[in-house]
Amino acid sequence: MTETALSNPPPLPLVKPGTLEIRGISKAFPNVQALTDVSLDIRPGEILAFMGENGAGKSTLLKIINGDYQPDTGTLLMNGQQLTFSSPHVAHKAGIRVIYQEPEIIPGVDVAENIWVGELPKRFGLLDRTRLNEQVRGSLKEYGFEGALPMTLLGDELSSAQRQLVEIMRALKSGVRVLALDEPTSSLTDDEVDRLFALVRRLRDEGVAIIYVSHRIKEILQLCDRVAILRDGNLIAVKPAAELNDAEIVRLMVGRELSSVFQRKRAGTSREILRVENIKSNWHDDVSFRINAGEVVGFAGLVGAGRTELAKVIFGELPKNSGHVILDGQDVTIHRPDEAIAKGIGFAPEDRKREGLVLIRSVLENASMAILKQLSRFHFVNSRLERTVISKFIEKLRVRTPSLEQEVGKLSGGNQQKIVLARWLAAKPKVLILDEPTRGIDVGAKAEIYRLIDDLANEGLGIMLISSELSEILGLSDRIYVMQNGRISGELDGKTATEEAVLGLAIKDHFAANQKATEISNQKDSTL
Amino acid sequence: MSEKQTKQTTAPVKGGDTLKRAVGFIGTDNLSLMFALVFLVFLVTIVSGWFGMDGGDKFFSWQNLMNSLAQAVVIVGLIAIGETVVIIAGGLDISVGSIASIGSVVAASVLVGVGTIGSLSFLTGNVVIAVLAGIIAGMIAGAINGAIITTLRVNPTIATLGTLAAFAGFAFLLAPDGKPVGVMTQPSFTWLAQGRFLEDAAIPALGGAKWTGIPVLTVILVIVAIFAHILMSYTDFGRAIYAIGGNATAARLAGINLSRVKILMYMLSGGIAGLSGVLLAARTTSGNPINGNGLELQAITAVFLGGAATSGGKGTIVGTFLAVILVGVLNNGMNLLGFNTFIQRVALGLLLVAAVATSQWRQARAESSRTRIANAS
Repeated sequence: MTETALSNPPPLPLVKPGTLEIRGISKAFPNVQALTDVSLDIRPGEILAFMGENGAGKSTLLKIINGDYQPDTGTLLMNGQQLTFSSPHVAHKAGIRVIYQEPEIIPGVDVAENIWVGELPKRFGLLDRTRLNEQVRGSLKEYGFEGALPMTLLGDELSSAQRQLVEIMRALKSGVRVLALDEPTSSLTDDEVDRLFALVRRLRDEGVAIIYVSHRIKEILQLCDRVAILRDGNLIAVKPAAELNDAEIVRLMVGRELSSVFQRKRAGTSREILRVENIKSNWHDDVSFRINAGEVVGFAGLVGAGRTELAKVIFGELPKNSGHVILDGQDVTIHRPDEAIAKGIGFAPEDRKREGLVLIRSVLENASMAILKQLSRFHFVNSRLERTVISKFIEKLRVRTPSLEQEVGKLSGGNQQKIVLARWLAAKPKVLILDEPTRGIDVGAKAEIYRLIDDLANEGLGIMLISSELSEILGLSDRIYVMQNGRISGELDGKTATEEAVLGLAIKDHFAANQKATEISNQKDSTL
Repeated sequence: MSEKQTKQTTAPVKGGDTLKRAVGFIGTDNLSLMFALVFLVFLVTIVSGWFGMDGGDKFFSWQNLMNSLAQAVVIVGLIAIGETVVIIAGGLDISVGSIASIGSVVAASVLVGVGTIGSLSFLTGNVVIAVLAGIIAGMIAGAINGAIITTLRVNPTIATLGTLAAFAGFAFLLAPDGKPVGVMTQPSFTWLAQGRFLEDAAIPALGGAKWTGIPVLTVILVIVAIFAHILMSYTDFGRAIYAIGGNATAARLAGINLSRVKILMYMLSGGIAGLSGVLLAARTTSGNPINGNGLELQAITAVFLGGAATSGGKGTIVGTFLAVILVGVLNNGMNLLGFNTFIQRVALGLLLVAAVATSQWRQARAESSRTRIANAS
């Protein structure tokens, strides 16, 4: 028994290959329709790519396939049989595995145990270490990962690539029909990417159905057989990769009707209100830009491009290593947010519940927080003045609240965001930084906030608008900076910019980096 | 549509009848404390009546109300007021008992002119200088707490647990040869704890005992409580404290200088603890380095009993004030009924746990109602 295991590494315990059919899946979250009636087949022996912008619904779809979320409507079928996944565990049993970017790894436990967690081989009720090691060594050898994944390493000593390998080995060990990989190459070196691709291709050839999610178009075209493109929760197209190219994919990803979105009549003066020169920080590599008075300047880019961090560096919440902030012609030194506010910068953060508001305090207190000094004499808050000032802005923004004493946590998302905005209107800054000002807000409130941004710019404020919604950036901005990997990868004029141009700049370096990877791997392929 | 919204915004909530408005003004938390207080007083009198114990009817005597109760409550009450500010801001100051000990020793040494501190002072025998020295010593200790917590980023519980031990030791180092400094011979100093106002006022006897005046201690407590209430309710400092306790990140991003406010807050708590130490020295007629031992537990109990939230952002000076009286009545009642101090300690410990459990339950309930509303909208 032991001898056979030694001589023949265990074969891939493939469950009978099967087609995963997604039928009419819809899923809504509060204020967001994440998926609308998505139907799609994932066939054995093919690699299918999921592509789409941030928030297009890729992650939600993966999570439904993995049993993390239950769909509101629609079903999943495997070879014609209906599947109901109450949890990821059930999905795993059915042979469906989603490998997320950060798999769950048990820190203090070695690779072998991490792979076999939950199903460790036992002998007399104790861990059968010998058998475990044989099995793991066998399968690592089988898939060519002996060197890449030393079995004695502990969970917390593993690199991202190794963590993903552990998760893939877990999937293979228990038999897998459908394997989904979520942005697997984002933290891998070129060499690791090559090995991963070889593994993925091999699994495909053995009859596994593979879903591959990535922003990297070159990779997709190189690896995948078919491409499914999602946009705003809808499945836009499913096409063979051979029929697609870079430009076509970008067009399909962004091709939204723009007519419904607010269009700002662009103004902007030539008086410079904010200039940022050569900012270097842990997140940024030499960022420079300028904002004029009366201008809305959009900052586009993928999640993780460093836009939020840039806002926080300017605002003094995060440290910078070098660089200058010139506000209204003066070189200012800002170490803390209160200094930034005193100098005339306002910042409405992305996560209003965690960073923007004190949820258990009142509307009034939250709105007046940034101007307490102006409202106070000898440290006593002039509450009558406070009410007059704040209620003016509460009315202007049409905040729906029973009273100024209402706890902010009890308001809706849109009204909460308006409280944050009221705070900055009251503070009368020269530059206002808005980070995702309409995230999680319903359409009506969105339109009001767009109009407000427009008004504010027309009153002479310089507005730095960070948004992941391209339509928002294009509709509101006078100029657009696109960021990528902590740099500004391009500047566009708001009048002439297109979604394709913005997205192209946002993923430009992915093209370049992958071009190189492709060349190298092609060379390797040819030498083999 | 917009007209309706504007109306909603500007129109104040019409409270209706006076009762509702009164409840709103006092606050439901404080109201339940008052009920608890009345209930407890009843319990003391009724239990003693039933079981024929001879303490209960003494409760309603000027002697008891103005001596035992009022005085027992003051020291803990003062410390609890400083602690309330710290807890509302989401912090904790466990070192207050030891700071009180330092305040005790410093004030006594300055007054008498002995020991390390006393030898520095040029104005021995001056009560005002002695009191100020005790308060300033407490503020310095508080500043050390604040600096450790803000610059070294040590969790406040751990930081002040460390300084609780360190300050306790330091109080001994300050005292000459580690011995208490007697202040028996300083009547103008001991007056702070033993003196009375309006002793001669014509107030009728109550519970068989005649009017004995209002203790100076009680007056000091009331003054400090009013000062703290004003500070928390009407100043930018108070606003900052509530904001930091509610959400420190949001407070910082809205322009509140966290380090500055926190250091000031620990200085306030330390200063008040120092003052309590001074009063302890006056009451016990000795600047004893063990004077403040164990005060932190009673003070923290009172703060949570008074409605403060463990997560910060909630709590009032009035609530703490009522809770301090409640704890005082509990202790006093048990004294009168002849329970020994060990039983009293058990009761106090259980009360702390119960107070925090209630506070947690209230938070969970508030949290769930918020989520419900947010989801519904």
